[in-house]
Amino acid sequence: MPNFMLTVSIGTLLLPFVLGFLIFLLPRFHKLLSLAVPLATAAFALLLFTLREPFSFLLLDNFGVTLLVDQLGAFFFLTNAVVSLAVLSYVWQKNFTYFFYAMLLFVHGSVNAAFLCTDFMSLYVALEVSGIAAFLLIAYPRTDRTIWVALRYLCVSNIAMLFYLVGAVLAYKANHSFAYESLRGAPPEAVALIVMGLLVKGGVFVSGLWLPVTHSEADTPVSAMLSGIVVKAGVFPLLRCAILIDELDPIIRTFGVATALLGVSYAVFEKDSKRMLAFHTVSQLGFVMAAPAVGGFYALTHGLVKSALFLMAGSLPSRNFKELQKKSIRPSIWVALTIASLSISGAPLLAGYGAKVLTLKEVWSWQAIALNLAAVGTAISFAKFIFLPRSPEAEEHKPGIWAAVTLLLSGLVIANMVYLDAYSLDSLLKAVGTIALGWAAYWVFFRRADIKLPRLLEEFENLVGVMGLMLILIFWMALA
Amino acid sequence: MLEACVFATILFGFFGIIFKQNLLMKIVSMDVMSTGVIAYYVLIASREGLFTPITSSTPTATDTAIAYADPVPQAVILTAIVIGFSIQALMLVGTMKLSRDNPALDYRQIEKDNTP
Repeated sequence: MPNFMLTVSIGTLLLPFVLGFLIFLLPRFHKLLSLAVPLATAAFALLLFTLREPFSFLLLDNFGVTLLVDQLGAFFFLTNAVVSLAVLSYVWQKNFTYFFYAMLLFVHGSVNAAFLCTDFMSLYVALEVSGIAAFLLIAYPRTDRTIWVALRYLCVSNIAMLFYLVGAVLAYKANHSFAYESLRGAPPEAVALIVMGLLVKGGVFVSGLWLPVTHSEADTPVSAMLSGIVVKAGVFPLLRCAILIDELDPIIRTFGVATALLGVSYAVFEKDSKRMLAFHTVSQLGFVMAAPAVGGFYALTHGLVKSALFLMAGSLPSRNFKELQKKSIRPSIWVALTIASLSISGAPLLAGYGAKVLTLKEVWSWQAIALNLAAVGTAISFAKFIFLPRSPEAEEHKPGIWAAVTLLLSGLVIANMVYLDAYSLDSLLKAVGTIALGWAAYWVFFRRADIKLPRLLEEFENLVGVMGLMLILIFWMALA
Repeated sequence: MLEACVFATILFGFFGIIFKQNLLMKIVSMDVMSTGVIAYYVLIASREGLFTPITSSTPTATDTAIAYADPVPQAVILTAIVIGFSIQALMLVGTMKLSRDNPALDYRQIEKDNTP
């Protein structure tokens, strides 16, 4: 069994890259070649769910690459597979060149690699490859704006990864190993540097404020890909480290709560639909990190719902909520938007509900208060989608989203069956209460509120400066 | 002493990224920073010795007494050098494209023009 698993894992790891390069050689078959990859990843994820115990592998000698496959990873692989499949079906009928497909495969493959490896050096390579491929995807339309946004993204993530590299070698100095375990007993500066690098890459807390502009200015399928899975490549190693090393656990949980509140407080005042979704990515990643052991299920539901929402928001006639309220939208897309919005707000019968209940069960009591507050905020901001006026004569939305959206939304309904224990009376009441409270707050105050939060922290220089501050903050947290 | 110099290089690069106004200079500063990081790996590798870690097939008594450099950090940093170089190249290409409409490459102007 271990040998079989090793072969399958390495096969899954290599397949996207091999087929990605093959696309450059056989550009004519780019669609078929790229379709094979998410299907293979999905099969691999389903195989992982059947595992009774985790397998870990050490390739080559003492200092070789280490891999670990377990159920936590299975959720992330499945997210990656479904989101990629949905994005592929979205771009299928459109005029994207083979280059775009190849880059999609590289993003997919590098994110898979980040979910599979358990040493800092392999993780570094995986994250940098995902950064480069994401850069090329964002810059794909070749306009000045997308090039600037992509440059900004690559620059921020590369600086973060340089700090991370210093942290990795400090951990190596202490324990003569690059494995995640080497963080145990490493000096606090090593912990600070590595955690800061991953927080930036994962778009968490103040250091993750590069994310709203990047995710909202990218093309629709690229936003879905970035928000659905690429940020999770930064968050997943943090979950792994938090599970492995007890001292890290409180730090990760605290950042989870902090980012959940920060993202939501920006999102409720946001007037632009794509920016609001991006701020919710910042906030939802907090829910994932708040309870590391069960973060996988939350990540899966968030990946499905957020990529569906990005695809739909991209096909609405306008991005501005004010204009959308005047224009009104088609009933068909309204139904799909409402299902997705209800899931992310945690309404019963959809996967978001089970994920929220499971997460709230695993967190500490002070975390639960803050997360409930964030859940109300989520309901408030998604009321903006649910209460949009609709009429059959409204402007036609852009075509080509239905295959992708059906796949993602049915995924939400199926994932709901995974955790049926969530359906107890008090959890149901709490979920309904949270949503009712959020909608009431929306009608009373937020519908008319016209507050523009400053974007000071989203400027490039401040993003880089904040990294320095975060380093000091995490250093003291690690020391305490 | 050497360690202090290496950290100074990293910090100079970091502050260069923050304080330089020109986009090109920001990217060059990033390269300075990554030079510092690479130098730090080399420094860590040479903690216990400077000799190339090559052993012969017939080890002699002197072999074990030689202070070898640690090969692992040097090996892994090669990957980082290559990745850093390719990122540098990509960013310079992006800057070239931007320079067609913003010949001065003033970062504030570019950011103002391109943020909604």
